[in-house]
Amino acid sequence: MSAAEKIDFGDLKLARPKPFAEVSDGGVTGWRCWVWTTTGIVLMLLVVQFITGLLLAFYYVPAADHAHTTVSFIEKVLPAGSWIRALHHHGSQWLALFLFLHLAELFWRGAYRTQIARWVAAVVLLALVMAAGATGYSLPWDVRAFFSTRVAEGIVNGLPLVGSGAREWLLGSSEISTLTLSRFFALHVLVTPLLILLFVGWQLFVRKSARPCAVAEDHFEDNPDSPGGQTGRLAGVVSTAKNTSRPRALVSNQLTRNLLMAAVVFLLLALYAHKYPAPLGPAAVNATADYVPRPGAQFVWLYQTLKYVPGALGSLVGVVLPGLVVLTLAVLPWLDRTPLKRITNEPRRNIGAAILSFLALFVVTMTVVSYASDRRDPRARQQLARQAAEEAAFRRERFVPTLLTEDNGATGPAAVASPAPSFSANNPPAAYTKLCTTCHGEHGEGARQGPLRFPPLLGVSEKPRRSVLDIIGILNDPTAYGLDPPMKSFATKLTDEEKREIANWVVTLKKTN
Amino acid sequence: MQDNKGSGMKTDRSRRTFVLLLPFAAIGGMLATVASAAFRFLRPVVSASSEKWVDVAPVAGLSGNKPVARKIVADQVAGWARSLAEHSVYILPGKNNQVLSAVCPHEGCEVSWREDKNVFSCPCHDSDFAADGQRISGPARRGLDPLPSRVANGKLQVRYQSFVNNTQERIARG
Repeated sequence: MSAAEKIDFGDLKLARPKPFAEVSDGGVTGWRCWVWTTTGIVLMLLVVQFITGLLLAFYYVPAADHAHTTVSFIEKVLPAGSWIRALHHHGSQWLALFLFLHLAELFWRGAYRTQIARWVAAVVLLALVMAAGATGYSLPWDVRAFFSTRVAEGIVNGLPLVGSGAREWLLGSSEISTLTLSRFFALHVLVTPLLILLFVGWQLFVRKSARPCAVAEDHFEDNPDSPGGQTGRLAGVVSTAKNTSRPRALVSNQLTRNLLMAAVVFLLLALYAHKYPAPLGPAAVNATADYVPRPGAQFVWLYQTLKYVPGALGSLVGVVLPGLVVLTLAVLPWLDRTPLKRITNEPRRNIGAAILSFLALFVVTMTVVSYASDRRDPRARQQLARQAAEEAAFRRERFVPTLLTEDNGATGPAAVASPAPSFSANNPPAAYTKLCTTCHGEHGEGARQGPLRFPPLLGVSEKPRRSVLDIIGILNDPTAYGLDPPMKSFATKLTDEEKREIANWVVTLKKTN
Repeated sequence: MQDNKGSGMKTDRSRRTFVLLLPFAAIGGMLATVASAAFRFLRPVVSASSEKWVDVAPVAGLSGNKPVARKIVADQVAGWARSLAEHSVYILPGKNNQVLSAVCPHEGCEVSWREDKNVFSCPCHDSDFAADGQRISGPARRGLDPLPSRVANGKLQVRYQSFVNNTQERIARG
């Protein structure tokens, strides 16, 4: 007797927990059983989203002044951080895709008729996953996130009647601010996951599975004398009857199939996430007006559609139309009405098939058109390439920890610790005159040397990331601030005191008109 | 005949066993991959007190036998954040300008210099230390901790450190 035989896996199958009937039901063999594993894949992707989201929450800070820093820290410094974030980012898009496939498969099985609860739950789940994707996109608070929030704000604002109110409720204030980020964070990590858990939990643990194709093979094996065992075998089942040893399907258990397919998809996702990190650009404060925002892959179709719709209708198309599609799909089981039956014999099947096939066709077309038009339009292509280069450059920058200050900017403790002697614009500190004037001019006005032009420092403090502390940071490590040579590091050439003096002086320089 | 049947059952069974082991291996593999990444991801980061020398006082002004209290601002990096933390130190001009951390080696309160008794006294659990930092009485298990110091450009400089509390030996953290 081999060790394996002592463990009776037949019993194990019977002892299988009932709650997971969802992924273990069915018993039909053949290729259909492998198609029906979308349930297992969706469950696996949901678990991955929960685990990776939970891990990211250990470091993420949902406030406008730290969100981007913490995400950069996850991305650049923490071991496995980039991979975990990529799993979460790409996983959300794969989840939307497989949920749609799952919905299509349920529809094909006629679940809207036989398994109403399961059908409705799947529709709602798809809506929740899209909502989680939309709110999560803002959280890194980089330039890309900032503009996606901008667009969401605009779409909501354009809604008839409720527009301006809805916009303020979404933003938490009259403008995009750190409160907006807090709201998106709460929606993304508390509200949507809670609802998703409720729906999935209900599906897995509470509801009795209808087992539409429940020709439970295991059952037949264990009770070969039951009538179903003799007659109920479907085509493709090559089963083992008692006392015979006919060949049987290699994988006969639906739970096994689900797990194997989930494992395959996980492996693909893991490799994909390893190769392609989640996008992260410069912080939102660096946003410039010429930035061309693009949404996450699962929303590209919607974004492309909005291009064809006149402004005022955009909000309707962007919010009301998707809402109506979801609503129609959700109430599909009850669309069996007489007036509809007068038009068609199978109203539910036809409406559902029309919506789902149109949706699939529409989403694929619009997504392809969007990517194609970005490639064809030279201006968009150049700008997107520029942005990609900026993101790549940002990715290469060394991570610089943020200085936590009780005050903001120029009056931080570093500046307070040694009260700056008052220099006037005409009276630069000696260290400046010694090391900086050749390039930046005697009074910060900039200079020319042959073909080279050196930037003036006048009014520099009005720009983002140019506080006293930032300027000290630039003197220490200009590349960390995206500055190129010939600006070089003065970390060792100046004392801390001198750096502070120079920085305190530079921020006082005003632009002269 | 009988033999044939037996061996057939056996192959079938072992194949079933193998096939049933696959999903366990799949789940195990997925969990192990994520768990190992999660372990590395969550492992605490070393909070590094930067290796910087901080000015405490000009050497010229230090004289006498009484400890001189000073506050220093040291830079501390913890993960994505850098903060400036203020620490109290005592300079002992009578002991070749040795610098002591004011953190009590017992539970980490800050000791203060008691002019009247000529001792450092901890307000929390009444540990007393002599003017040179040696332990006199109370629950503390060692004397006050000296900090690395040096003189540069006529200024006394110190590198801030914290130490494991409540041990007899002096073990620097970080």
